[in-house]
Amino acid sequence: MFMGKRTLTAIVLCLLIMQANAQISVMKLIGNNTKDYKIGFGAFIKTGLPVSEAADVTFELGANIFFMSGYGTQYGTIMCPLKAGYRHTLNGTGQGFYVEPQVGYNLIGITSLPSETGENIDLKYHGVVLAAGAGYMFTIGRAPFDLNLRYETVVAHGGSNNFVSLGISRIISFKKRETEY
Amino acid sequence: MKFYLIIAAITILLPSCLKQSIPDAMLGISGKQIKITATLRYEINGNLVSITVEDADRQGPGIHTLECVKSSNYVLSGITSSGDFVFTFFTDSLKVGNYNYTSSYGPMYVTTFQGKAQYVYGPTDHMSFNVTTYKDGHISGNFSGQLTPVITPGFPNNIYGVPGSVSIKNGSFTNVPVAY
Repeated sequence: MFMGKRTLTAIVLCLLIMQANAQISVMKLIGNNTKDYKIGFGAFIKTGLPVSEAADVTFELGANIFFMSGYGTQYGTIMCPLKAGYRHTLNGTGQGFYVEPQVGYNLIGITSLPSETGENIDLKYHGVVLAAGAGYMFTIGRAPFDLNLRYETVVAHGGSNNFVSLGISRIISFKKRETEY
Repeated sequence: MKFYLIIAAITILLPSCLKQSIPDAMLGISGKQIKITATLRYEINGNLVSITVEDADRQGPGIHTLECVKSSNYVLSGITSSGDFVFTFFTDSLKVGNYNYTSSYGPMYVTTFQGKAQYVYGPTDHMSFNVTTYKDGHISGNFSGQLTPVITPGFPNNIYGVPGSVSIKNGSFTNVPVAY
């Protein structure tokens, strides 16, 4: 856990130094026993390294939170995945529609539930993260943006937390392609 | 190529919807009334100690024979024919791995053998637990250890016998329910 905190801190500092921007998304848990959760929210830092005219290797650190219905903010689930992905634009230009599989590790997973006796049940876990998404990259002025829809699953202890996410982000790249945005 | 990548991604991800959520898996909530048998067995100075609990998830009200309870840490406890057996996992997030307790952390009661309390106390004493699986709210694994008997009780001022004179070997636990 201590080494995980060091790694997390180093990654956040690197991305901050490179002026990565936070991005936001709305998300919904899906699957068995998820009807008790409200719409969730995510904030994440994502950056991309172009590897060809059509594709980027991406790195993303996020924080997703889902509150349980009827309890305000007292109970819910928080997950902080760290992921790497390969974003491939369908028209081969680095703009427009793309698909992006991702894989990573859930640095922090906490679910707080009410017990039958009214006490808190706090479950802590990590797990493997798998995600697949599609989106559309476009430019407003000289600023590149990314609108994306993603399905993500965190697998741990023989179960999985699954959710669908709709997000908007401003893209920060380490270097420019040959083609200007 | 892109088509096949998309199909592969869907094939990998969609089956995850069929699984129970992580909290339900950790709490052992499957919706199915399956009877799970939990066991604890070990040899203490060559004497076999064994606990078997059928339908371990429904041990009823009162004291449970074999379970692992989460409070500030995780405490695995069993009631054997010769007395209690206790081991504390000093973590707030139990997972597969090794948990080793040595006397450098302080004296710790483990079990009672031949009417005497057995502690991790002597310089070479230890209890080593290896959790091999944690799934659907149950843990399994193996353990071993070396303990010191208490000759005259009076914790924290116990009078101890020969350090390291009691050994625990071939310890195993299966499907022990984890309760929160």
